[in-house]
Amino acid sequence: MPKILVIGAISEGNLTGTSLEAVTATLELAEAMGAEVFGGLIGDECARAAARFAAAGLSEVFVADHARHAPYVAEFHVAAAQAIVRRCQPDVILAPSTSETSEWMPILSGRLDAAMASACTRVGFEGDHLLATRPVCGGAVQGEYVLKGGLRIVTLAPAAYEAATLSEPCPISLVELPDVQARVTVVEQLNDQVGSGPPLRTARTVVSGGLGIGNRENWSLIEDAAAALGAAVGATRAVVELGWVPHAQQVGFSGQKISPELYLAVGISGAVHHMAGLAGAKTIVAINKDPEASIFRTAHFGVVGDAKEVVPAFIARVKELRAQQA
Amino acid sequence: MHIVVTIKPVIDPNTPSVLLKIGKDGVTLELPAGMSQIMNGYDANAVEAALALKDKHGGTVTVLSVGDETSKNCLRRAIGMGADRGVHIAGPTGLACDSSLIAKLLGAAVGKLGFVDLVLCGRQASDTDAAQVPFLLAGELGLPVISPVKNIQGVDDDSAVVDRIGEGCTQRLQVKLPALLGISNEINKPRPAPLKGVMLAKKAEIPTWTHSDLGIEAPQPAMTLRRLYIEPPVETRAELIAAESARAAGRALADRLRQEGKI
Repeated sequence: MPKILVIGAISEGNLTGTSLEAVTATLELAEAMGAEVFGGLIGDECARAAARFAAAGLSEVFVADHARHAPYVAEFHVAAAQAIVRRCQPDVILAPSTSETSEWMPILSGRLDAAMASACTRVGFEGDHLLATRPVCGGAVQGEYVLKGGLRIVTLAPAAYEAATLSEPCPISLVELPDVQARVTVVEQLNDQVGSGPPLRTARTVVSGGLGIGNRENWSLIEDAAAALGAAVGATRAVVELGWVPHAQQVGFSGQKISPELYLAVGISGAVHHMAGLAGAKTIVAINKDPEASIFRTAHFGVVGDAKEVVPAFIARVKELRAQQA
Repeated sequence: MHIVVTIKPVIDPNTPSVLLKIGKDGVTLELPAGMSQIMNGYDANAVEAALALKDKHGGTVTVLSVGDETSKNCLRRAIGMGADRGVHIAGPTGLACDSSLIAKLLGAAVGKLGFVDLVLCGRQASDTDAAQVPFLLAGELGLPVISPVKNIQGVDDDSAVVDRIGEGCTQRLQVKLPALLGISNEINKPRPAPLKGVMLAKKAEIPTWTHSDLGIEAPQPAMTLRRLYIEPPVETRAELIAAESARAAGRALADRLRQEGKI
């Protein structure tokens, strides 16, 4: 029976939601391949994350728990993944695409001589072929790739699948780790300044601004609206390139891919590149003075009007509604 | 100091998506009339980073590009900017090309060049965005690798200190040399090629190395492109909130979102 290994990701001690999305992709693929499904987890003091992962419908979870896994250094993660692979002997490895797996997973694929497709939106099995679909050309075109036999690795873009539901836990096994000399060492690690709001990647509500707000001085509209809604602040690539906000706030194909309940796009035209970061957004609201802006074709609610007029009135009304509620 | 930079020709990422057409073979893109491929943006950042190190520490910069004749144009741009020499490696390019195959060709080419202190690659190519070649090439060469790098803090004889873009953080990392770095666009603004450089680049001799010149069998792809397709956008047609003034519409929007339970 073939085996699929899904490797979860941990953020601040917790199993990420994207890990459970990867489980869903894994369970679907396992059904098509007639495969058994195992989990792998790499971290430092990751018992809590492992317990959650073990309840996601897997047969067994292999855990590589070691102080050298935080702060993250690629070579230690690769060594841990190799140890898990030796125990599990998988035919396919799936994992969420994160800034960490984007680094250590291709190193692993090279060491194990495995074909790898990164940041995929779909993975399937047909005949004897593993098929992976991934956006190319900034998300404007989709490419369907065939991964040749032997071990194959696929990482998944956020929000490509629904998160798996939790049920009865499976056994958890600790994996022995080899001694490794890393050639890369951490001098220091600085958390990015993210303002006072929630983190962009996991926020329930996000307010984003684009060039349509006019100029840098108007950026306070975006921040004020985000503060009123308790939302994170996002931005388009154009705004980031002009230096109005740091890259960490960029939403889109080459920025953050997010899945908020509510996304408020202010002065954003709706280019493919930007919308590629919003595949998981539940409700999109567009405020734009150009009635022809393509965002009105993909948004759920829209206001055609100047953000300088619309947004302050919107904020005032949000505050009134919040006050009434309190 | 010998720095090697790898570059790839790509379709201009600012090409409006309506101009992108899939070729009859189903696996290539037809370039809009009058447009040619350009040097991948992150690779231009890598060339600039190499030249900045050369300005500071001296040494030579060699640029490599796997692909067809278009690769040579990109190599000439890098030479125009100040790179010392370019080598074209015959091989596939575009969306169908496979990272492991490219890494094997580049690895053999770097081996043929002899001793290298630093290999710089763009963090990813903007056409496929696969972001695998830097890591696979490092594996071929047995080098440590860090990517994406947004700042090279310092380089001495046997190590470099760089800033990596982490998950919500910046990691300042020290790495032993020789090493490979995947360069991100935050690091610099590539210099334009001066006129003198452009003239030099025009005349520069750019050899083409095939896999037999590199002394290896033609590498086989681990992954093949079966088809490309363009997905029609999901059209929702926004419910437009209309009111007598923009301000009134702003208030009405808040009311409508409250009614929906969204705020």
